[in-house]
Amino acid sequence: MPLIIKDEYPETLFREDGKRLDGRDNNELRPIKMEVGIIKNADGSAYLEWGNNKIFAAVYGPREVHPHHLAKPDKGILRVFYRMATFSVFDRKRPAPGRREKEISMIVADCLEPVLFLELYPGTSFEVFIEVMDADGGTRCASITVAALALADAGIPMKSLVSAIAVGKIDGKKVIDLSGIEDKAGEADLPIAITWYNEEISLLQFDGDMDLNEMNEFLDLAKEFLKSIHNIQLDTLKSKYIKLQEKTSKNKKDEDKKGDK
Amino acid sequence: MMDVKRIISKIEKDYIISNLRKEERIDNRGLWEYREFRIKSDIISSAEGSADVSLGDTRIITGLKYEVGEPFPDLPNEGVCTVMAELLPIASPLFERGPPDEQSIELARVVDRGIRHADCVQTKKLCIKENEAVYILFVDMYVINYDGNLIDAGGVSALTTLISAHIPEGIMGDNGLEWTGKYLTGEIIVNELPLVLTYGKIDDIIFLDPSLPEELVCDGKISISATEDKITSIQKSGAATFSIDEIKMLGNKTLEIGSKLRKKLNLLQYLSKIE
Repeated sequence: MPLIIKDEYPETLFREDGKRLDGRDNNELRPIKMEVGIIKNADGSAYLEWGNNKIFAAVYGPREVHPHHLAKPDKGILRVFYRMATFSVFDRKRPAPGRREKEISMIVADCLEPVLFLELYPGTSFEVFIEVMDADGGTRCASITVAALALADAGIPMKSLVSAIAVGKIDGKKVIDLSGIEDKAGEADLPIAITWYNEEISLLQFDGDMDLNEMNEFLDLAKEFLKSIHNIQLDTLKSKYIKLQEKTSKNKKDEDKKGDK
Repeated sequence: MMDVKRIISKIEKDYIISNLRKEERIDNRGLWEYREFRIKSDIISSAEGSADVSLGDTRIITGLKYEVGEPFPDLPNEGVCTVMAELLPIASPLFERGPPDEQSIELARVVDRGIRHADCVQTKKLCIKENEAVYILFVDMYVINYDGNLIDAGGVSALTTLISAHIPEGIMGDNGLEWTGKYLTGEIIVNELPLVLTYGKIDDIIFLDPSLPEELVCDGKISISATEDKITSIQKSGAATFSIDEIKMLGNKTLEIGSKLRKKLNLLQYLSKIE
């Protein structure tokens, strides 16, 4: 529970012992927890806790396109709707979607589209709904990560997963996975996403200032930590099926026992 | 994916009704039995109070935010508490995105009235300076999964959120608003604990806590809010009609079942521990 009453920036983003304000090292991720299949009504769903960020994603599709004129005769369409809850930020957000939410919806859709085989689904739509319940910096990266999981959970054919992370510069030092306060008070923020089938960048935004050398270093740094995000995603998907397998094999054993009697 | 439809087949409807006639439910509950409530509080770090409530597979996350604003002219020393509800498109293929529709407005209004008329929120405690500054509380409900009876889940969710509240305490000093560093907690602002109970009706059969298939086939519903000894608000919805005797019976049932549920949920355990 934060004790902040006014939205003020701290003078320095590092503690006296050289760690960041939340106690992390420069190259340390916040704790990440992922789950799939938690919304029973959805075709696919995922939940992500990334530090204080808490995000739900659900996929519906392939289904009929509303409104009809958006349908494409030669391929399916991917629509992403990113929304934040009114209580997810410091000052209550207005309930209606704002410009920021619409822009992020668009860039998330552009980021995910390359991994889908939309040409296999002409005339239909895939809708991905992302609901941010609690936000603390890096929600667009977290949203891409959780949306990719939800698509995979829905059983939609994909070339690979997509993972995302932000790298940046605070108080002149390179760090990964910026928190809300570091994002606002720091000098540079570079959210970056990778499509693993070709290991290429599918989201890149940047605000701040850096020289060319720094940019190269940032990209290499991001790649290293994107791999750890990817591993957590893969483990989360596998664990769902391991649980299912355990459940069915247990049921089978119970039945066998009954049969013996 | 669960089988979610707007329309239920005739055969399924007949099955639900013939079971209800035998006082049985498709999910093996009795007529006056709730599905299981699962409650977590204070889960949103950005909110000044929050709750994650599941009733069966229906799940609602609610958060509390506050603003400091001017009081209404006719209530110069009272704060304001408003309830909003959003049926998120993640929750069901039946929900569409866009501005709030009738169903979400009804949910917010029924929960709001249950709380407002029960003397639940101590609005006088939400006054910073008479005529000038009061707290305006926003209790915002988000439906995460829809499996029927949003109103009862929403009622518990909103109440738990208010109980878990920890709002920074402000006083009006010479240089405007100053924060004391203390908090207004649920202990200070919540008085009564109103619960809202919803009944479905098919033909002449009445039952508590309709699940989604029951909600889809029922003729109508009635939601009754009550504190320990008083009925505080009633909402009848849908095309069903209720006899006067039935309503009297439901009034009694509501006080009886509500009292048991209040003890079982023990919502005061979710009071904020903050000083």
